Amino acid sequence: MPHFTLQISPQGAILNALIGLSEARQGALKAAGQAIPNLVPIRALVDTGASATCVDPSVLQALNLSPTGNTMVVTPSTGGKPAAVDQYDVGLIVPPADRNQVPLIMTTLPVICAELLVSQGFHALIGRDVLRQCVFSYNGSIGLFTLAY
Amino acid sequence: MALEKELETYKNKLPELKQHEGKFVLIHGEEVVDTFTSYEDAIKEGYKKFGLKPFLVKQIHSIEQAQFVSRFITPCSV
Repeated sequence: MPHFTLQISPQGAILNALIGLSEARQGALKAAGQAIPNLVPIRALVDTGASATCVDPSVLQALNLSPTGNTMVVTPSTGGKPAAVDQYDVGLIVPPADRNQVPLIMTTLPVICAELLVSQGFHALIGRDVLRQCVFSYNGSIGLFTLAY
Repeated sequence: MALEKELETYKNKLPELKQHEGKFVLIHGEEVVDTFTSYEDAIKEGYKKFGLKPFLVKQIHSIEQAQFVSRFITPCSV
């Protein structure tokens, strides 16, 4: 099983990743003769407290995305009440630390747009929707975390 | 709100869609196109059929399911 191990930062399990268009949206842009935006490099926090992956608006704006979904979300900022939010389909790539290993690639992932992430030091929360396909190990005693996929 | 028409269609058609609980429905305007086992298949069909025009992919739940995020973030739109 491909995996990588990184140091736990003061903010938690932080990793570098790339966010781009979903495979299907890339195809639609090509068919329309439009340019495909470059992948956006991001810092992401692996967050077991998030049931869905959340991305800062600056990243989604750079990809010129339109919503293709809608869901209810409960966060401390919604006062514990569900709020309706748009969802966007993206592609997620987490490059491995070791070049001999394959990256974690999700070609089509629904994400929620969420503000206040950049001020907390990252652009995205990697939620349990991604972790569902992974083994996530957090070893606080030696300050390392491992993601296998 | 984006996809207002599609969300209205979802709401109106939910009594019929309930038989496909857990599947993903593709909606364009007032048209329910089809249901799919996976999110990815529904998105692929949406872009194939409608290109860059608005369409909605939504998992069918007779009782709306909420996502939970324990960190302090503010959901938004772009």
